[in-house]
Amino acid sequence: MAEVKKYEEPRIGVFVCHCGTNIAGSINIKAVQEYAKTLPNVIIADDYQYMCSTPGQNKIAEAIKEQKLTGIVVAACSPRLHEPTFRNATKEGGLNPFRFEMANIREQNSWVHMHQPEEATAKAKDAVRIAVAKASLLEDLIPKSVPVEKTAMVVGAGVGGMQAALDLASAGIKTYLVEKEPTIGGKMSQLDKTFPTLDCSQCILTPKMVDVYRHEGIELLTYTEVEAVEGYIGNFDVTLRKKARGVLTPDEATARGIIGGGCTGCGDCTDVCPVIKPNPFELGMAPRKAIYIYHPQVSPLIYTVDFDACVKCGLCVEACGEERKAIDLDAKDELMNVKVGTVVLALGYDIFPIEKKFEWGYKHYDNVITSLEFERLICASGPTGGHLIRPSDGETPKRIAFVLCAGSRDNTGVGKPYCSRFCCMYSLKHAHQIIEKIPGAIPYIFYMDIRSFGKMYEEFYYRIQDEGAKFIRGRVANILEDPVTKNLHVNAEDTLLGRPIDMEVDLVVLAAAVQPSADTEKTRRLFGVSCSQDGWLLEAHPKLNPCGTTTAGVYLAGVCQGPKDIPDTVAQAEGAASAASIPIHRGEVELEPYFAVCMEDKCAGCGLCVNLCPYQALSLIEKDGRTVMHVTEAKCKGCGTCGGFCPGGAIWMQHFATPQIVAQIDAFLLGGEQ
Amino acid sequence: MAVKKDYKDQKLAERLRDRKYYIPDSNPEFIKDVEKIGRTAAHMCYQCGTCTGSCPSAPRSSYRIRLFMRKAILGLEEEALTDPDLWLCTTCYSCTDRCPRDLAPTDAIMAMRNLAFKRDIVPRNFLKTAQLIYQSGHGVPNNAANRVAREKLGLEAEPETTHKYPEYLPGIRKIMDHYRLKENADRILAEGE
Ligand SMILES: Cc1cc2nc3c(=O)[nH]c(=O)nc-3n(C[C@H](O)[C@H](O)[C@H](O)COP(=O)(O)OP(=O)(O)OC[C@H]3O[C@@H](n4cnc5c(N)ncnc54)[C@H](O)[C@@H]3O)c2cc1C
Ligand code: SF4
Ligand code: SF4
Ligand code: SF4
Ligand code: SF4
Repeated sequence: MAEVKKYEEPRIGVFVCHCGTNIAGSINIKAVQEYAKTLPNVIIADDYQYMCSTPGQNKIAEAIKEQKLTGIVVAACSPRLHEPTFRNATKEGGLNPFRFEMANIREQNSWVHMHQPEEATAKAKDAVRIAVAKASLLEDLIPKSVPVEKTAMVVGAGVGGMQAALDLASAGIKTYLVEKEPTIGGKMSQLDKTFPTLDCSQCILTPKMVDVYRHEGIELLTYTEVEAVEGYIGNFDVTLRKKARGVLTPDEATARGIIGGGCTGCGDCTDVCPVIKPNPFELGMAPRKAIYIYHPQVSPLIYTVDFDACVKCGLCVEACGEERKAIDLDAKDELMNVKVGTVVLALGYDIFPIEKKFEWGYKHYDNVITSLEFERLICASGPTGGHLIRPSDGETPKRIAFVLCAGSRDNTGVGKPYCSRFCCMYSLKHAHQIIEKIPGAIPYIFYMDIRSFGKMYEEFYYRIQDEGAKFIRGRVANILEDPVTKNLHVNAEDTLLGRPIDMEVDLVVLAAAVQPSADTEKTRRLFGVSCSQDGWLLEAHPKLNPCGTTTAGVYLAGVCQGPKDIPDTVAQAEGAASAASIPIHRGEVELEPYFAVCMEDKCAGCGLCVNLCPYQALSLIEKDGRTVMHVTEAKCKGCGTCGGFCPGGAIWMQHFATPQIVAQIDAFLLGGEQ
Repeated sequence: MAVKKDYKDQKLAERLRDRKYYIPDSNPEFIKDVEKIGRTAAHMCYQCGTCTGSCPSAPRSSYRIRLFMRKAILGLEEEALTDPDLWLCTTCYSCTDRCPRDLAPTDAIMAMRNLAFKRDIVPRNFLKTAQLIYQSGHGVPNNAANRVAREKLGLEAEPETTHKYPEYLPGIRKIMDHYRLKENADRILAEGE
């Protein structure tokens, strides 16, 4: 453990960064530097083109040694970006790294005041003065290391979550894979073929599903949701709700003493069940019973009772028989607790409710369908056995319009402002499928741009055009139905001709936008992960840390971070798994030492703070015959709730202590004249 | 089908004509004919506009080669073949040199001209050129002024063509007769009188 030093007389070094022209373009660096020299306790004020570069960092380390500095201020970008860099430099110079304070003069200054150089310079001086005031009062802090649980959790078992779990488990880490549906596979299991290679989706996914099911390092928890999360990186304490499935797995049956029992996946129960409901896997286009599986390739192959629909007639129990005894109609939800070191969120997406764009008539006109419905209709294992039909009359459509950007790239507030990123490509795939399956059929693709950016994607576009797909550059304005024939009139402009088009077709397929899946908001809040404006989960850095989040120990994979196709989803999942395995393999993580400290001589033991703490980090203990408050440091997040509240001022918030904050406020309000 | 309204006034009817594009207005065979005659995969045009950007005719006229490619794909035969712009291509082949989809827009234009000629749609100056070639072997025959200029430059008065070797003229005429080019040109010009 490093030696804890406290200094009598503060000696501060200030370093102002140009950041090329990012800062120097609008802020007068020399003026800020000269001003810093006039501030109390400042021994040296320097500047450099790029403080984060090696020479820049060396300046800090050298100045500490030469000038015997006690605190460092760097006026540059945001702490988010470079606080760790400059803390290291401070340490290099022989100081405790927490004797560093950053003044943000880029994101919060030069970038927003680009055209006000004078005001920006004045603001930069303020920021430096405030930082110097705090740096003068900084103390040595020692980060705490905590051990990391050797287990991981992946939430969501689409292709992204499955890949992350497989990688983690194969790296020797026990992994809980939590899926809210009764089966794993996600959206990919609903697809027929996949672009650009056109391999059958189920054929490449099913083996992976089996791998997941069989992997001894994966504990698969289907029909399970995250109920509560406590803890922090290395030590997440997760409560899971195993929803009442009503059907026992062979293992569960054995545990109940029904040797050789449990669900074999035979389906005898389904045959006798009298209740019929729409199957959500087939998007309601096929029925299922109250006891059901989504499709024959489900994993695990265990039936599920829909207790909202079940009339408890008991016919299935009878059909299942005394030997297997797999069905338990009195099943209740169960809660279970697991401790994990790191978490990967792979929550996927939902289709945007495209009926909200009423001009295209979805749910209003029979023959307007979504592309996901198209996938089920063209799929050999789908509700029509792979025969694409018009919902209105069951006829085979010949003229089919594909409406791209349906609800995407839409700034009306109704649709989504972003590009959904895979609809161009899957619509090309759909065009290919109808040319292949229906002789004489013509796909008309209404597009604004064809975004075929991936490897072999442009080549795929070329191929589909050559196969005879017709491209009309223009977003579909509206669709009208002929009430007699149920044919549709697609109105658009051929922007290349500059002429409006009225195209009569038999079927319209809307390439509907995607949006975060229904439970994303709830789940992200449980894990304390941020989201961007549009609801997609926020990565720690869009370029340099695309799999991480701002919550240490929580990582992202797949579409929940933003629309992406299968190759990108799998790639990100492997990245997230790798990132999530690092703390586990290292065995311990350092926590920032920003926790509350009880100054026991001042604490009255009133205990009012204990219930205020949102993280249950506080308790009352007996010490030397007195009742005093005690902080569990690993649980404390340094939020300051208790410190701000304590009537006796007995709580010291490390790194954000009252005297430090007061000094900053004084420095700001009094303009440095203390 | 285009919506028709019975305006009494013909001018008004033309002005308010339904200009929407309807599938039945188009001829799906058109693109196939263009491809067969032009020997280029015109349906692969992705409308980038490199052709029009390269075209020396475009800045001086309303001729847009890209639009002809588009009309071919959409099967707008009537419109393409009756458009006088069809005849403004100089056959310089700049577009063909640069087309990123490796198409020959020039040849697509030539194909459309062929199809137009089959329907007697040809500008008169083109027909007169055909007559001149029949007479002299030249679209622009030699003349007195040219001869003087050539001699000044130290060249022979007549170039190394049918002008110098009139014995080749029958061969040229034979080819033109085979395609009934002269006959048709004469006929169409006469009908237009
Ligand atoms: C019509 C259509 C066609 C497509 N065609 C192709 C194609 O040909 N090629 C291609 O590369 N891509 C294609 N895609 C894109 C492809 O579907 C996605 O890239 C892929 O499914 C993303 O996988 P994922 O794991 O991120 O999400 P998902 O597949 O959505 O999986 C997420 C999983 O997490 C579960 N989940 C969600 N929230 C929770 C929670 N709170 N707790 C527990 N579990 C939860 C869900 O039930 C689901 O099983 C297509 C998309 C559509 C709409
Ligand atoms: S991927 Fe294509 S269709 Fe989808 S939103 Fe983006 S541009 Fe539009
Ligand atoms: S082309 Fe018309 S509808 Fe489209 S963005 Fe421009 S103004 Fe809006
Ligand atoms: S250059 Fe080629 S691809 Fe581009 S518009 Fe012209 S013909 Fe089409
Ligand atoms: S060949 Fe014709 S269309 Fe092509 S660039 Fe030359 S003049 Fe224009």
